[in-house]
Amino acid sequence: MVAVRRRWEWRQDVSATSRGRISRRTLLAAGGAAIAFASTAGAQQESFKFGLTPVFLSNDLELLGLLRSYLSARIGEPVELVTRRTYQEITALLVSGQIHGAWICGFPYVQYRADLDLVAMPSWRGKPLYQSYLIAAAGRTADDWSALAGDIHAFSDPDSNSGFLVTRALLAENGLSPQSFFSRSFFTYGHRNVIRAVASGLARSGSVDGYVWEVMRETEPALVNQTRVVRRSEWLGFPPVASPKSLAGDPRVARLHTALISMSDDFAGRRVLDLLRLDGFVPAEASLFDAIAAKVELVRRSG
Amino acid sequence: MTLLGRLTSIPVSFRVPLLVALLMVAISATFSERVLDRLSRTQEAFLEGIAGTYLDGLSSAILPAVMREDVWEVFDALDRSAASYASVSPVEAVVTDAAGRVLAATDPTRVPSYSDLPPEYSARYGAGLVTIDETQRTGFAKRDLRYQGLPVGTIHVAFDVSPLFAERREILVTLLVTNGALAVLFALGGFMLVRRMIRPMRVLETHMRVAAGGSAEPIPTSAFPPRDEEAARLFRGYNALVRAERERSDLAMQLAEEEKLASLGRLASGMAHEINNPLGGLFNALDTLKTHGATAGVRDTSISLIERGLAGIRDVVEAALATYRPERSQRPLTPDDFEDLRLLIKPELRRKRQRLAWDIVWNEGPVAAIGSGPVRQAILNLLLNACAATPDGGEITFSATAASQRLTIGIGDEGRGIPPDIAGILIDRDPGPAIRAGRGLGLWMVRRMMDDLKGTILLGERAGGGSVVTLILPLAKEEYGAHAA
Repeated sequence: MVAVRRRWEWRQDVSATSRGRISRRTLLAAGGAAIAFASTAGAQQESFKFGLTPVFLSNDLELLGLLRSYLSARIGEPVELVTRRTYQEITALLVSGQIHGAWICGFPYVQYRADLDLVAMPSWRGKPLYQSYLIAAAGRTADDWSALAGDIHAFSDPDSNSGFLVTRALLAENGLSPQSFFSRSFFTYGHRNVIRAVASGLARSGSVDGYVWEVMRETEPALVNQTRVVRRSEWLGFPPVASPKSLAGDPRVARLHTALISMSDDFAGRRVLDLLRLDGFVPAEASLFDAIAAKVELVRRSG
Repeated sequence: MTLLGRLTSIPVSFRVPLLVALLMVAISATFSERVLDRLSRTQEAFLEGIAGTYLDGLSSAILPAVMREDVWEVFDALDRSAASYASVSPVEAVVTDAAGRVLAATDPTRVPSYSDLPPEYSARYGAGLVTIDETQRTGFAKRDLRYQGLPVGTIHVAFDVSPLFAERREILVTLLVTNGALAVLFALGGFMLVRRMIRPMRVLETHMRVAAGGSAEPIPTSAFPPRDEEAARLFRGYNALVRAERERSDLAMQLAEEEKLASLGRLASGMAHEINNPLGGLFNALDTLKTHGATAGVRDTSISLIERGLAGIRDVVEAALATYRPERSQRPLTPDDFEDLRLLIKPELRRKRQRLAWDIVWNEGPVAAIGSGPVRQAILNLLLNACAATPDGGEITFSATAASQRLTIGIGDEGRGIPPDIAGILIDRDPGPAIRAGRGLGLWMVRRMMDDLKGTILLGERAGGGSVVTLILPLAKEEYGAHAA
């Protein structure tokens, strides 16, 4: 609960608009914990709920259909895909056991490691690693991130590693904060939205998931080519698939793990992976998230 | 020719279609203006409806975001709505907060977030919901966002209204083309119709022109237009006129004939006298021959007396025959004809003890162009009239001069002058009234003869009192001198 409060303070100075959600969030966290006890008992009767954050997948219904049918076949039960607008909602559902697994970002995992187990990690371009990009309009000359001072900046989600934390930490390293460095900043709740914001000129720069940017450069070149990358971060742990610790012994979670790891061997699975431009899923290593944890700590210390 | 004169001289069959076409143009211009006016008002109403709906949808979508001043949500809503409201053709939308600061615009590079709204945005609205700028082909509208009665922001929208103008132009062109085609069609139709309608008039006109040339012909029934009662009535009227005219000519000829007989009658007693006068002497001479025929001297004297008397009777009879026998009337006029006339008038002269001054200048041969019959009759009538007008013991003059191109004949009397209405028969353009009253038929014959020969009649006064009637007959030049006596 201490961690919760700190995060609450922190979120305040990022954006005043989060106020509505904050009260909901604490309620959810409190209530979720209560429900969590009840949920383990009744978990076997419901369908398997798998949560997805609005990375960029939610738009692609074909992909969702293929994923659902693959998982249903491999887990042996009907799978329900749960999507929400914000990372926070999915994280809350996961932590409280209302969903049985979710593909979340490294940042919420680090925040709730005590309540979550890692199930698997995607492998992209041979590694379960990705980068955070700072992007700007295509024609803009900016050699270094410092040229982005005074911009209207677009973040993706306050719980996003690549879409918020990395930039926050970078600024903190240099004794800066988003309020002092940027003239204005706002959240778009989607990596594709960050690209849209920068491409349209609504924001002069943005923080976006590098994997998403690279894949969309193939799938939506007209949009993405209106932006350019100003800075690539270090390689960080790819957003993992996690499950609540309360379901640790659940055979379905084990089947989920198997399904993901062997996805690249399966014809239907490969179709999903192709759409995601992923090689496959690999066993998760908790140490890959240490760098993210360090950033969390850095930001916390900088106040 | 003035413009009006030029216009009225265009034939009816062109004037009517032209007028029809002009009328059509005027009507279609008025009609088109009304249609276009109605169209633009309908379009504006439609645009206001659509703009209202668009703003309704947009404002309900963005109101929560505007209240939270959530720049991204507002932008996302604007961005997504541009596709779904394609029928409105929104060009630009800008959302401001209550203070007039831009939250988001569809084109953030032009109107950045967190900036102040440029003043031209507030200034561009008129009275209605949608203000149309015709030069830019853009419509503007705005909607103030309110929550619980308090203003929270404003949406400013610009629409592309060029489809509206394109539609107006298209309709105008359609109207022009359609109305133009109709006008041409009606004009053509009018032209054909008018031609058909005035065809009977054409027939009448042709017949009238022919009639004016002298030989009126009734319109045959085959030329009557079927199913046109008015025209048929007109034609029947015309035919009646022609028939009346023919009857009149027939009557006139009949009268001429009767006049001939009348003048013959007038001469009859004179002629009888003229024949009777020598008869007494002839019988005396015969008696003398019977009693003293043996004596040579008495015999010779008596025979020559009888010869002379008979010759005189023969001359008179021959003169009468020449005047009144139709087959002789076409022989060309010669001075001998005048001699015959002198003979014929002698009884009348003797009766009234009048003198005749005779003056003929005719050095050339007969004139074939002038038939002797009518001229003799006419001169005889004039001479008889002169005798009747001149008091007893007076003098009548007759002169005839054949000059290079004309024959001039003059008959003079010592009367009190010809009464004007009678004189009118000879010299007026329309001798009608006196003739219709039944008077002066002899002069009417003179007039007809002169008109036929294209001659001129002159009336004058003599120095010592009385009148002179001069007839001037043109001689055909090539005939003159062609025939020797």
